[in-house]
Amino acid sequence: MVVRNYNQELEFLEKINPYCWRIKKGFQPNMNVEGVFYVNQTLEKLMLDELKNACRPGMVGGFLPGVKQIANVAALPGIVGKSVGLPDIHSGYGFAIGNMAAFDINDPKSVVSPGGVGFDINCGVRLLRTNLFEQDVLPVKEQLAQSLFDHIPVGVGSKGIIPMNSKDLEEALEMGMDWSLREGYIWAEDKEHCEEYGRMLNADPSKVSMRAKKRGLPQLGTLGAGNHYAEIQVVDEIFDKWAACKMGIEEVGQVCVMIHSGSRGFGHQVATDALVQMEKAMKRDNIETNDRQLACARISSVEGQDYLKSMAAAANFAWVNRSSMTFLSRQAFAKQFHMAPDDLDMQVIYDVSHNIAKVEEHIVDGKQKTLLVHRKGSTRAFPPHHPLIPVDYQLTGQPVLIGGTMGTCSYVLTGTEQGMSETFGSTCHGAGRALSRAKSRRNIEYTEVLRKMEDMGISIRVASPKLVMEEAPESYKNVTDVVNTCHAAGISKKAIKLRPIAVIKG
Amino acid sequence: MSKRLLSALEYPNADNVNLSEEKTIRSIVVWLELNKINGAKTSTLNGLKDVGSKDWVVHFDAYKDQLGCPPLESQQEEIHWLLGKAIHLETSKNKNIYLQHAVENIRVSSAPKVIAENPLDKLDFRSKEFQDRINQLAKTLKIVPYPDPLVTLQAVRKIVCTRLAPDCVEHPDKYIAKGTPFPFQDADLGFDLNDPVLNKAAKILRMLYIQDLRNLQTKANELIVGVQSVTANPKTDTKLGQVGR
Repeated sequence: MVVRNYNQELEFLEKINPYCWRIKKGFQPNMNVEGVFYVNQTLEKLMLDELKNACRPGMVGGFLPGVKQIANVAALPGIVGKSVGLPDIHSGYGFAIGNMAAFDINDPKSVVSPGGVGFDINCGVRLLRTNLFEQDVLPVKEQLAQSLFDHIPVGVGSKGIIPMNSKDLEEALEMGMDWSLREGYIWAEDKEHCEEYGRMLNADPSKVSMRAKKRGLPQLGTLGAGNHYAEIQVVDEIFDKWAACKMGIEEVGQVCVMIHSGSRGFGHQVATDALVQMEKAMKRDNIETNDRQLACARISSVEGQDYLKSMAAAANFAWVNRSSMTFLSRQAFAKQFHMAPDDLDMQVIYDVSHNIAKVEEHIVDGKQKTLLVHRKGSTRAFPPHHPLIPVDYQLTGQPVLIGGTMGTCSYVLTGTEQGMSETFGSTCHGAGRALSRAKSRRNIEYTEVLRKMEDMGISIRVASPKLVMEEAPESYKNVTDVVNTCHAAGISKKAIKLRPIAVIKG
Repeated sequence: MSKRLLSALEYPNADNVNLSEEKTIRSIVVWLELNKINGAKTSTLNGLKDVGSKDWVVHFDAYKDQLGCPPLESQQEEIHWLLGKAIHLETSKNKNIYLQHAVENIRVSSAPKVIAENPLDKLDFRSKEFQDRINQLAKTLKIVPYPDPLVTLQAVRKIVCTRLAPDCVEHPDKYIAKGTPFPFQDADLGFDLNDPVLNKAAKILRMLYIQDLRNLQTKANELIVGVQSVTANPKTDTKLGQVGR
């Protein structure tokens, strides 16, 4: 590989407009398409500094900078359009988190890569509304936070309170949210307001290893650790009155519940198993990539198909998981307010996946194509009238839920036509890390973080307080910068801003 | 709208026609009768052809009767009705081509035929009496009549089913749509037909489609809830719970 200094590297990057940069071919070897990334002034600095640091002599090891990772993805076989970096991008395993890439299913050389989905398969965000207002909740905020904490087990190694045996798990993996519906944990409307209607139809539990199932079984209905959380939030600002109205959000001050979680140890094991298989397949089929972490297999190969089927099972696991937590949150609220969840109008506004690969139809160079779209740390954002979004959002576009960091705000955006044509209907997923976990542990004191939350009037319940500094707002990019960039670039549109009043974390 | 119908019928120079001019209207009537409708008696036709005569209106009234035009408020509406009639005749000529793609036909070809006896089939839908009564009914319900009485009847049926069923009359609150109105005029259509009128029509079609979809989704939800009443048995066991380190 050629070694270039920072200024030489910059020659391959071109600022097309105030919010969008182009990565030209040649930035990394064998690029099939160009790369593109969306940043504003602040995020641009973070992005380029990362590249600058990596260009310093003697910098080896660790993840490659995000820009380099976007370009390496652009060199994968079968990629179409562009390799897209969203404003919250940061380095990850193989693919950067906040990178989306689409591969033509009808090109026999096209690949699927577990690194393009991530280890927490179908990690996502769900937003429930209530008909309560801030003043109804404030007096009982502590009790409510405690009640949520008691209902939803959190933290590494936590176990759920919904009894399940291995037969139940097999069925849940195949049926996704239809299982939760059949068992009566959720409402019919929850399915209606969920990406893919809460079920990937190609899921095949028989392709999932015993080990993954063993890890997953006790964990259903648990939040997990890391950046996952359940928050009680209040509507802070409404940008798009009509879109908010369609989502059942009428006024500032209305109380919502946000759940951010994924497929726990189950998804992690599925991804790990697949990576082993893919390394073998790459040797056999002579697939070359720029980075060993970009292990992949042809979509049509046995390994590729097996991964897609087990990934779909893991996606179903995540939906059942979020559904179980929806059930538990409704119970917690019902107990606190002595009212049925129906009377509290605790409807699911929407449920998005931000770590997933899906088969979708898109227009590429004026032609309709069937693509395998990888979204890692990127949320689907389909425009109004798209056939795959719920009927209630046909006029507004798909709601996009952007979870902020602990103690900062979250956003609801909607999909746009421009996003559909520029980024294959994708947008950002959250704040995106600015400091690595290890760095945050060194730099920030956990007592400090907890005290700050208290000062802001946020009730907090954590399972492992010593890990809380990894998730401190200082470790992340500013979510408002990220969301404003997406809005200004036109790839999605701001609808609602929410701020937390209580947080439950792993 | 009338101009659109005229140009659809390939009336010469349809775009520049002035529909408020009596002379133009008269020549349009003659043109329609001669080229498209062919429904007038010879005497009436001769009367109509003399566009300058002061008896023209008498012949026009006779002509309307012969075609079965319902009593309408203005001459504009009458012309509009005539144009609709002409369009209807024109499309029925090519009915076979259009119907090839009709849902009913696609279904019929794949499903076995069952012939059911229906007393209504014995009615003469083309008779003047039937037509008159349908138009009367339409007028009472404030529906604009369509040249084909069967289409008018469909509209009548829709109104009766959705608004006049016994339960609707007793509990109108249940059926009148509630909620905040959405400014659909400002909504993004998703495509542009380069014509404000067509765009509006497309938007209305989209709204109707969304309404259909909503009804379908509601039925699906009802079905799920029905099944849930048999299968649902949610359980929790707090003893199983374990909070991580």
